[in-house]
Amino acid sequence: MDKSSHISVVLDLSPSQWHLSSLPHNPYPLSFKSFLSQVLAFLNLHIASKHENTLAVFGAFPGKSVMLYSSSNPASDSSDSGNPNIYRPFEIVDSRVVTRIEEELELIDDKEEEAPIGLVGALTKALCYINRITHPTTSTQSTIVEDPAILPDPRILILSVSPDLSTSYIPIMNSIFSAQKLKVIIDVCKVYGPNTVFLEQAAHLTGGSYVYLERRDALLQHLVMSHLPSPALRKLMAVPTQEKIDFRAACFCHKNIIDVGFVCSVCLSIFCAPVPVCSTCRTKFPIKTLQRLNASRAPALRPVNGAAKTSAPSTPSLPSTPR
Amino acid sequence: MSGANRDSTNDVNSEDLPHTLLPFLQSQSQNTLTRLYQRPSACLSMFRLLPPLDRQLVMNLLWLESAVPAATMGAWVTREGRKLYDVALLNLSRLHILPNPSIKLSLNGTFKASLRQAIIGGGTDGSFGTVAPKDDKHLPISIEVLDAYAVERWETILHYMVSSGTGQLPTKPSPGVLFLLQRSGLMSSVHGSALQITSAGFQFLLHSPHDQLWQLLLQYLHMAEEREMDLVEILSFLFMLSTMELGKEYSVESLSVTQKAMLEDLRDYGLIWQRRASSRRFSPTRLATTLTSLLPPLPTATSSGAGSQDQGFIVLETNYRLYAYTDNPLQTAVLNLFVTLKYRFPNLVVGSITRDSVRKALANGITADQIISYLTTHAHPQMRKNKPLIPVTVQDQIRLWELERNRLKSQEGYLYTAFASQADYEYVLKYARQLNVVLWENPAKRCFFGSLEGHSNIRGFIERRTGGQV
Repeated sequence: MDKSSHISVVLDLSPSQWHLSSLPHNPYPLSFKSFLSQVLAFLNLHIASKHENTLAVFGAFPGKSVMLYSSSNPASDSSDSGNPNIYRPFEIVDSRVVTRIEEELELIDDKEEEAPIGLVGALTKALCYINRITHPTTSTQSTIVEDPAILPDPRILILSVSPDLSTSYIPIMNSIFSAQKLKVIIDVCKVYGPNTVFLEQAAHLTGGSYVYLERRDALLQHLVMSHLPSPALRKLMAVPTQEKIDFRAACFCHKNIIDVGFVCSVCLSIFCAPVPVCSTCRTKFPIKTLQRLNASRAPALRPVNGAAKTSAPSTPSLPSTPR
Repeated sequence: MSGANRDSTNDVNSEDLPHTLLPFLQSQSQNTLTRLYQRPSACLSMFRLLPPLDRQLVMNLLWLESAVPAATMGAWVTREGRKLYDVALLNLSRLHILPNPSIKLSLNGTFKASLRQAIIGGGTDGSFGTVAPKDDKHLPISIEVLDAYAVERWETILHYMVSSGTGQLPTKPSPGVLFLLQRSGLMSSVHGSALQITSAGFQFLLHSPHDQLWQLLLQYLHMAEEREMDLVEILSFLFMLSTMELGKEYSVESLSVTQKAMLEDLRDYGLIWQRRASSRRFSPTRLATTLTSLLPPLPTATSSGAGSQDQGFIVLETNYRLYAYTDNPLQTAVLNLFVTLKYRFPNLVVGSITRDSVRKALANGITADQIISYLTTHAHPQMRKNKPLIPVTVQDQIRLWELERNRLKSQEGYLYTAFASQADYEYVLKYARQLNVVLWENPAKRCFFGSLEGHSNIRGFIERRTGGQV
């Protein structure tokens, strides 16, 4: 039970969303600075819990994602600052994360339009990193027989501020499935903005906890109580999970989140309107079914360009497996 | 079968055992502990020694300003966690980290302030050690040299223990170490002769280096009061060492008088390295920096045995033959405790586990479980593919040899004989049976054997009876 654990933290670093978050008309305004200091305290607590605990921090910036810190490859600059008042590993993590974020934020040019946030990229990188540390290749590790008991149980924590990006539905679902396969728990803390459908599903499907932060001044307390305990410890002390999960999916054709969709009977792709040919697997649907489906739909839902064509019948209440 | 099952339960127990230092800390006064909690580095190290649930409770309470009603925190605990939760609360209250856990939960103010400071940094007390300025005369010490030094020191101690009484004369550790070994009961001198290893000492040899280190340090702490050293200073120095960085040189200047005096002792144990005894700077070795972790405290690849120590070097076959890929004299000597060694090659020692060799070990006070756990922890990677790891035949046979020794059991007591009549005998015997003190009886010879506890009662009974007759 008392074994080392690994957390990959994904920070959502969208400048515009953080600006909105710090505006004083919010119930609990949270500036990026105070957010960062609380997150750093959380990272320190994770390292403090156990000497062997490992950590990786990924940043999702507009249009790109960057690894900010990893304990397998800490800062190369071994400056002999030697501050006697702080534990050295904390100092390394803190300074490294802060300087890397500063560097990356400098690089963002002041265009009017902000590129979409690279959350999926950061999530994928976190999964790749976990895959690498949990399955060390035999060639690099010589003949060491890895005892599965000493491998850390990995987790991912996403601190999200941006709203759902419907274009990223398929990559996020794919990440969720690979996380399930790797037995990685995805925890989500929604620090600002409305609930995101996709991340709710990510937490639910991987057995993680989803927290929508209402008292935003208590960020650190929420992080410690619901996202720090290891899976073994969560059996003893409960962590909050969502009661109602929004299972809606996004269609593959227009990337809209839909209530009722149409699913290809062959490859399970989701469409918002009946289509004659599946765009994913090129399956042709019989014209009769298409007509019946179109007839059954309410006139208001009929798409403007709606040429009467066929699609497979469906009721997508659960997300399907995009391939 | 049974052997394998027993092993798995043993593993569970050893994992759940609290750290050896915690009972010692719990026995300390609140005053001592509060003084200790003033140092952020001590709080951080203590925090790491706590079991996982205790740690989580501390973290939950760490950032709260006001006390939490016990019921509120209890609501988070699941049904199966209830028992562990209560244990954790008791544990924390004994350490005075959580005063009065029955009504309201709130951390000890000093502990809270110091741990917060450790996590977010700041303060001016320099409890994580002051790094010495760059030395122009000497190159900084390399990690390899530090590791070699720590291993050499530590193995000198163990080798001295294991070869005492065998006629060999290995290098003697310093008088301070010898005194410590004697005081901890690991070695003793009989009638003023040279020091001999005791049965506790043999058991000590089979423990992991981490346990051995803490066992000695614990003894060092126990001796602190006699030597009029301040316990808080010693503990906080040990904790400070455990948070230091390997390969860095630290300045002696910021240490207290007691801590400067400790430098010499710790140098003898191999925990720290100094260029000269009078040097103004010191470097912690791996033994010191891993005090609060589970990483192996001694570097791997101690000798040319190709990193044998960490991965294990023992291959044991079902025919009781044992191959040990090592050229380390210490490991060979430890194996010699319970194995009949046959041949020795440059990197290989071959021997076999025999009844005689195991009985010799048992006579020295080593238990069968200790032998088996030593073989398990040092098993060669090739062995780890087997399931169960240690051949069941060998495992069971070692246990049977142990049981063999326990055929006789001695118990002190009194033999009651020469009863005047059969009636007398039966009357007294009945009384003794009621007291449940009869160990053996023989009606034909009219005698029985009673345990020590029952003697005064039986004697009184007989006296009353004879007195009444007279």
